[in-house]
Amino acid sequence: MWQIAFYFALLSLVSVGGIPSVMPEMQRLVVDVQGWMSAAEFTQIFAIAQAAPGPNVLVTALVGWKVAGIPGGLAALAAFCMPAAALSYAVGGFWDRMRDAPWRKAIQRALVPITVGFVASGGYVLATPMGVDWRAASIASASAVAIAATRANPLWFLSAGGLAGYFLF
Amino acid sequence: MEATPPQDAVRPPAGLWELYWGFLSIGARSFGGVLPWAHRVMVEERRWIAPADFAEVLALCQFLPGPNVGNVSIVLGRRWFGPAGAAAAFLGLMALPLVWVFALALLYADHAASHGVRAVVTGVGVAGGGLFIGTAWKLARPLAQKPWALALAAGCLGVIAFGRVSLFLVLPVAALVGVAAARKDLL
Repeated sequence: MWQIAFYFALLSLVSVGGIPSVMPEMQRLVVDVQGWMSAAEFTQIFAIAQAAPGPNVLVTALVGWKVAGIPGGLAALAAFCMPAAALSYAVGGFWDRMRDAPWRKAIQRALVPITVGFVASGGYVLATPMGVDWRAASIASASAVAIAATRANPLWFLSAGGLAGYFLF
Repeated sequence: MEATPPQDAVRPPAGLWELYWGFLSIGARSFGGVLPWAHRVMVEERRWIAPADFAEVLALCQFLPGPNVGNVSIVLGRRWFGPAGAAAAFLGLMALPLVWVFALALLYADHAASHGVRAVVTGVGVAGGGLFIGTAWKLARPLAQKPWALALAAGCLGVIAFGRVSLFLVLPVAALVGVAAARKDLL
């Protein structure tokens, strides 16, 4: 439990772009490095967090829960939120005063493509729980096109994915 | 003449309790994403904050590490009531979703032996992965005319998704490359 809390606290500080950005690293640690669960279980846990209402950061609580029960879940969530929250608390006013500073603009522009790469990696990792598989690839491509092309509530696409999963897997 | 209050009058929450309830109602209703509800409750329903102000706070919180709307709760709670406000807003936002997500997880644990249940949940997870890919695509659209930015994005994707390199290594390197390129107006 302390191990996961420590690791999630570190993860918190590199989560530029939020939870989607750190999904590949979280999966790498939990599945590849520590072997706490399989890639399929990781994708299922992520699915539960997506299907429940609330901020997607709750996936950290579920990963912690799977590793060390409900105390582990609370510890993982707190560990992930605290460092970033402390930073937001500290930086809140300062960042606004630096609105026109050239270094701020350079950092902002640099982070856009990096976030794109991270978020796409998170999607790839989650969509390939069984390695590359045509069924998973079709479900993932369909929902990727759907969210890029329409403005509907993403819950519809998740439900469609669940239905397709029932018949395909 | 009848005095009508201006339509865009902004009135921050009167106390900690109102702040907590406002964020509780955001968390309670946030099926399919928190951000739209955060906007609706704070900007449209309760008029705690002006739309442009909200957009700026959000931009900051998307830039900062950590959960975006979680950071919004910290920054705004602090602005209105200091540390107690930050804590009240954050706890209000998380309280109900945390209960629900654990309830759903326990329910799933009871039925995970069923092949059908596992198949549905896997389908939802894979579709969620697809949503990330689609979102990355949308974020990448403004970069279409910037080959260096696309190369940086593709490089990050390649080393993380396929090379399985740690983010702790990729982020500092990519940030250095990105800032250097941005300074030369390549991004």
